[in-house]
Amino acid sequence: MIEFTNVSKQYPTGQLALYNVNFAMQPGEMVFLTGHSGAGKSTLLKLIAMLERPSQGEIVVNGKAVNKLKNKHIPPFRRHIGMIFQNHHLLLDRSVFENVALPLKITGMHHRDIRRRVQAALDKVSLLNKQKENPMMLSVGEQQRVGIARAVVNKPTIILADEPTGNLDPELAQDIMYTFQQFNELGATVLIASHDQTLIESMNKRIIVLQKINP
Amino acid sequence: MTNVTKTNQRARQYSFFDAWWQHVRAAMAFSLKRLWFNPLSTWITLAAIAIALSLPAGLHLFLKNLQTLTDDKRQVPTVSLFLKQSVTAQQAEDRAALLSELNDIDKVVFVSKEDALKKFGEITGFGETLETLDDNPLPHVLVVTPNLTMTGEMDAQIRKLVRQLKNYPEVDSVQADIEWVQRLHAIILIAQRILYVVSALLLLTVLLVVGNTIRLDIENRKEEIDVTRFIGATRAYIRRPFIFGGLWYGLFGGIISLVIVHFALLFLLPPINRLSTLYGSHFTLSGLDFKMTFLILLISSLLGIVGAWLAVGQHLRKTEVVL
Ligand SMILES: Nc1ncnc2c1ncn2[C@@H]1O[C@H](COP(=O)(O)OP(=O)(O)O)[C@@H](O)[C@H]1O
Ligand SMILES: [Mg+2]
Repeated sequence: MIEFTNVSKQYPTGQLALYNVNFAMQPGEMVFLTGHSGAGKSTLLKLIAMLERPSQGEIVVNGKAVNKLKNKHIPPFRRHIGMIFQNHHLLLDRSVFENVALPLKITGMHHRDIRRRVQAALDKVSLLNKQKENPMMLSVGEQQRVGIARAVVNKPTIILADEPTGNLDPELAQDIMYTFQQFNELGATVLIASHDQTLIESMNKRIIVLQKINP
Repeated sequence: MTNVTKTNQRARQYSFFDAWWQHVRAAMAFSLKRLWFNPLSTWITLAAIAIALSLPAGLHLFLKNLQTLTDDKRQVPTVSLFLKQSVTAQQAEDRAALLSELNDIDKVVFVSKEDALKKFGEITGFGETLETLDDNPLPHVLVVTPNLTMTGEMDAQIRKLVRQLKNYPEVDSVQADIEWVQRLHAIILIAQRILYVVSALLLLTVLLVVGNTIRLDIENRKEEIDVTRFIGATRAYIRRPFIFGGLWYGLFGGIISLVIVHFALLFLLPPINRLSTLYGSHFTLSGLDFKMTFLILLISSLLGIVGAWLAVGQHLRKTEVVL
């Protein structure tokens, strides 16, 4: 499903974020990515979603060598990936419903189908009753769940989450992890970057550790 | 994985055109709503565009009216010979007959002082007042239509003829209508050039105003653009609402400029009409015709679109997603 072969990433600033990374994920697998701050976790996730391009090596996602993807093929490719960040990146000038509907609108879907799908996604994160509210009015945990609903509304094959529980207290964090597990059980391949060691270990999944490289 | 295949099948139900039309409709509605998001800055932008557009439009209108004023006379330039008071009608008619024999002259019309007075009375409405005059103050007039050769400078030919006609003993003064028409014509040519320069500069202003407004809008919505990009929006999708924003600015600015020009015209009309009745003319200001109205709206809309396109293009080239 996701395969890295000798992947390195050096930012234009000269910062070497990843060096010679090799790993593979099976379809339907749920994996945690851990390592110290600055080890390159965020960079690795960005490479999968083509938010950054690798400096070296090959990345295969869904059977496609994405490092060779042309610019115009990147938008449709991203629609198969749901991304969640530590900061929810919700748009505060519109309602929860509108936020979650955004990925569907991008595909040109019809209004009534959008309504159905958005409500289903909000239902899965137990926020159906908050759909008309502005994200600003929600608690941090709820905002993060809206972000998850937006990431999964498109029924992506791959879900990537970068420190999704970073701002949450342990109980809420555990809750969010269970939500991801549910999506994994529904068939999605899930990769979560986190440095919360106890939380990760409690989930009983494969863990990939990134070592920080000393230049 | 069953989830995945279902997604693909669903997606395929929407034809390319359906999706495109959904996008266009959404972008139109959204960009219209955005205009009211910050009404003050929208109105300021629209006013700037409208003023910049109404200047060339008004100037064009002014020139068009000047041209209609000269057009009918330019075809038949005439030279009026005002005869001395002592010249009798018979002498005048004889001279007219002689003049019409000349090669340089096409036709001579004799207007007696009595005819001239009557006509003057009719035009001004002072007929009764004029009847109380003991003496007719007007002279006999010969209206000469020159026979202009196609080659050579019209101006020079007429000046030569005027000099020649002045030498006849009956002639008191000579007035060539052509002179003011020619001068006006020359002025119009200059004014036209000025119109082109002013238009080019002001249209460029519209382009910059729209471009800058859209650029600011993009700055304010950076977050939104980045978010839509990482969830898989194409460049066309991101560009669309901004392009429509530019279109609305151009179109509405154009409409407001038409309103401005129209009111300026209404404001000018009464004094112009009074002036033209004083001169016994039926001249009246004509407004923008349908073609011009359409053209102004078309140009302003295009400028809006191009301005927005430049602003968005620059932004999209500059950045990948930064989160
Ligand atoms: N856009 C960027 N430009 C330059 N350097 C970057 C950029 N993003 C991350 N880095 C650097 O790359 C390294 C890895 O960063 P990151 O992937 O964010 O690690 P993590 O998410 O594990 O904390 C860090 O040293 C960071 O400073
Ligand atoms: Mg990080």
